[in-house]
Order: sequence, then structure tokens, then C-alpha cells
Amino acid sequence: MSEHIVLMTQGLRKSYGKLRALRGVDLEVYRGEIFGFLGPNGAGKTTTIRCLLDLIRPDGGTARVLGMDPQADPVAVQARTGYLPGELALNDNLTAERQLRFFADMRGGKVNWAFVQQLAERLELDLKRPIKNLSKGNKQKVGVIQALMHRPELLMLDEPTSGLDPLMQQEVLGLLREAKAEGSTVFFSSHIMSEVETVAERVAIIRQGKIAEVAATASLVDRGLRHATVRFKEAVDSHILDRVPGVQVLSRDDGLNVLLQIEGEMDELIKVLGSFPVSYLDTARPSLEEVFLAYYEAGQDREEAH
Amino acid sequence: MLTTLRYTLAQLRGQILGWGLGIAALGLILVPFYDVFMEQQADFMQMLESYPPEFLAFFGGDAASMATPGGYLGMYGFSMLPVIVGIFAVIVGSGLLASDEESGRLDLIVAHPASRAALFWGRLAGFVVSTVAILILGWLGFSVLLGGSSLDVSWGEMALPFLPVLAQVLIYGTLALLCSMLLPARRLAAMVAGLVMVASYFLSSMVTLNESLAAVARFLPYHYFQGSEAMNGLNLGWFLGLMAASAVLALLAWWRFQRRDIRVGGEGGWRLPSLTRGLRRRAEAQ
Repeated sequence: MSEHIVLMTQGLRKSYGKLRALRGVDLEVYRGEIFGFLGPNGAGKTTTIRCLLDLIRPDGGTARVLGMDPQADPVAVQARTGYLPGELALNDNLTAERQLRFFADMRGGKVNWAFVQQLAERLELDLKRPIKNLSKGNKQKVGVIQALMHRPELLMLDEPTSGLDPLMQQEVLGLLREAKAEGSTVFFSSHIMSEVETVAERVAIIRQGKIAEVAATASLVDRGLRHATVRFKEAVDSHILDRVPGVQVLSRDDGLNVLLQIEGEMDELIKVLGSFPVSYLDTARPSLEEVFLAYYEAGQDREEAH
Repeated sequence: MLTTLRYTLAQLRGQILGWGLGIAALGLILVPFYDVFMEQQADFMQMLESYPPEFLAFFGGDAASMATPGGYLGMYGFSMLPVIVGIFAVIVGSGLLASDEESGRLDLIVAHPASRAALFWGRLAGFVVSTVAILILGWLGFSVLLGGSSLDVSWGEMALPFLPVLAQVLIYGTLALLCSMLLPARRLAAMVAGLVMVASYFLSSMVTLNESLAAVARFLPYHYFQGSEAMNGLNLGWFLGLMAASAVLALLAWWRFQRRDIRVGGEGGWRLPSLTRGLRRRAEAQ
């Protein structure tokens, strides 16, 4: 395994009885990147992460984390990893501070407490309050702090901003960027496309236990469908646009306004438009959400065809 | 492992005090009451003889032995102690890992760099230390008033019946722990272990009335409970045998915990262990 690959799976499979949660997941995450793991509920995001931390045992395939087999040496993997579960459960009888001190002790006390306090301040978390009196968002902050507090080489976060208000979501995403700047690798799952688009350099889309796509976030968005509105100075015969590769005319208004759907690069379209008197051109960049939905719809279509 | 032990003891401290002081209170009542019992022995004996034999068998004694210190302490105290402290053992043993697992906390705990072995043995050690602490508190309660009593039992002699109680309690606790590793829910594990405990007590107690029950009772832990008879000399064979059985149950539970998935909500429940699953996986890997 190459040194710059921090996390790798090949053909990872896991079933719960008859339910095939993972059907051969192939992934590679590189050192120092922020990697988004996208998929709807039940697609296999959490199961993949839990296999990588030896919380559950895969039925087949290979997994390597920081060059190690998590099943053979789970303690070494866990020592260098920070984990935030998707379903965070804490001890209600403890204060946030006691809970975090417990996690610090479980790491052999190798935690800088001043850093914990700094994180709590940034996330506006009162460490003296009992867990049972904390809101879901504040409990999530405890989870985020315990994942970050030992400055791990690798962060595996399952829905890290779940339950947080928008301001705190931004703060947590900021913490992830800072962790990356300090050399950590961040692997996080989410179904909030906008946050993945904001921070992740690469994303994987998982669909029904298989990776549907792995790509740089920007290129994935670029490859998506765009909509463009063109307004001409005078009425024109725009039927030539129907013949431009990757372009579909969605509507025409008296030859003055045209709504287009464009797939792929726009170079050919711009050249054709150059021969027309164009007064206005507006293109809308597709969101990762639209790209994601397109993958899902395409996948479902393929399955139905089979 | 020490961190886990420390936190387990901290979590169980309330139970240690509650159960320990409760048993100590029983001793503080029973020991001085022996003198009253002896003063009115004739009346008590008449009353006991009027009871059906099943009643006396249920409390592990007979009217004739009641007048001796061992018989008195056995009937009113030690015969029931394995079941009383056994309730603590079944509750704590079944929840030692499964309680955190069912609440979803174990997922994050196991993700920390303490091995599953350290977590398992640390928590089990916490349970054993708690049980010993409860019995020590109980022993102090049974012993502190011995000086002013006509029981004629030393502190050392009074400690001996607590050893068979310890062996009984550990076996029910480790059985509950093993059940929690095998069965789909903690409550089910507690129910099975509790059922074994109660059946063991009933069947073994009734053997004095119906000897044919001995064929079944000999496979149950309470059959090997010495109770207050240990004051006349501990049956080391029984004691060590039960401790060894507890160790075997604990090892089986550990073996299972090492190999199983940690359950969280929505990711499928526990499954009964399949003997063929391992073989199937091996075949697939090849």
C-alpha cells in the first residue's frame, strides 16, 4: 500500500442476515485530504466506517487504515484515529467534562486538556453541565471534541454536523479544515451535499452498498447537468442548437428566449452562440445534490432495465 | 484494563453500598436475635415442628439443626444469600457490556484504543471486586456483634460461609454475562440466568424431600452450596470447582465478545452464533 494512501478498502462486504449492507466497497483516501462519503440512509456509509474501526467484522474483502489491518491491530488503528459515530450515545449521568476525561483516560491520558477547553470554547459548550441536560446539538459537540482532542492523524466522522445549528456547522467544518492544515486526513460521511461541497476535495458516492463514483468534488459538479438561459437581441431561428452535442433545448419563447440543458463542456455551445446576437446568457452551476440525485436516478434506471 | 476497572467500580459504588449494607443489616439483626431465639427455644421449636417439611426445606434446614449456631445462621441467613446477592450478579453480569451496547455507548467506547480484551476483563474484574466488597460489608455486619452473642462463632469462622456464597454469585454473574453475549437482548440474558438461579435453589432445596430430584439438581450450582456448614470446614473441592466453572463461563463470554459485532441501533440485531458461518467465510476467502 502506497504511503500516501491512508485508508483503503477492496471488495469490502458485509451482510446482516439477508441484508447485504456492503457489496464490495472499493475506496482509497489519500493522506492530508478531506474526503466526503455521500449516500442516503442505509446506503452503507456507517457500516463501512464501523468495519474500518473493527467495530464490526466484514464478511469479505480487504481494509487497511494507516497501513494496518484494523482487524489484526485494532488498538493501533484506534490510537491514531478520531471517531465520531452517527448515533452518538453518551453517559447521561456524567458531566460533559467527566465524559471527556473518561475518553481521555481510555486513550491513556494522552490528551492536552487545554486543547479540549479551547475546542469547548469555540463550540460554546459548557463542560460543567450534565450530559442529560444537554440538547442534541450540544451532545454532538461533546462527540466532535472527543474525536479531535488527541489530534489524530485520521478523522472518521459519521455525520459530524448532525443536530448542530448552521453557525456551529460552519465552526465544525472550520475545525476540519484546520485539522487538515495540521496534516490530518478527514474522512466523513454526510447526506448534506452543501457541506460536503464546501469542504471535501474528493467524494465517493455509495449506493446500495457499492461505490457508484469517486471523483474530485469540482469535477463531479462540472460533469453534472447545467441549465442555461439565453436571451437574443432579436428573434432568431435557434434550431441549430438542437444539433450541438450535449445540449437539449428545453423551451423557446418567440425565438427570443431559450432554456437549455447542457451536459459536459460548453465550448461547442459558446462557438455556436457566437453567430447569434446574444443580449444575455445565464448558466446555473449544478449543486452536488443535483449530481448526487442524478447518480441515484441513473442507478435506479439501470436496475429497472435489468 | 485498570482504567476500565476504575470506571466500572465508580459506576457500581452505589450498588456496592446498597447491597452490602443491606446484607450487613441482616447480620446485625440475626446475630443478637440468636440469644432471644435460644431463650425461647422450646416455643420456637414447637412452632417450627408445626410447619410443613416443605417450608423448612425451602429455607434449607430442619427443625433439629435449628438450635445450633450453624443451623440457625444457615436457615435465617446463608441459605438465601446466594439468591439475594445473585439478583445483583444477574443484573450486573447481564449488563456488564450489553447495557452500554443496547444504549449505543459501547460503539464509541470500543473505538478507543483499549483492546476488547482489556475492556472485557476490566469490567469483569469490576464485577468481581464489587461482589467481594458487598460480601465483606455483609461479613462485617454478621461479625461485629459476635462478641456480645452466645453464638460462639469467631470472626474467621463467620467469614467461611461467605466463600461459598461468593462462588455461587460469581457463577450466576458470569452465566448472565455469557448469556448477554449469546442472546439477542440483555433482558433475555438476565431472565435465563435468573431462571437457572431460582430453579437451582428450588430443586436443590427440595432434594431433602424428594431424592429423585438429585439427578437434576447435581447439574445445578446450588447443589454445591455449603452455606453455614462451611463454618465447620470449607469444602474446597466444591468451592474451587464452582470458581473454575465461573472462569470457564467468563472465558466463553470473552471468546464470544472478541469475535462479535458491536451492535448499534438500526444495524441489525444480534444473531445466535452459527457454527457454519466461520467455515463458510473461510471457504469464501479461499
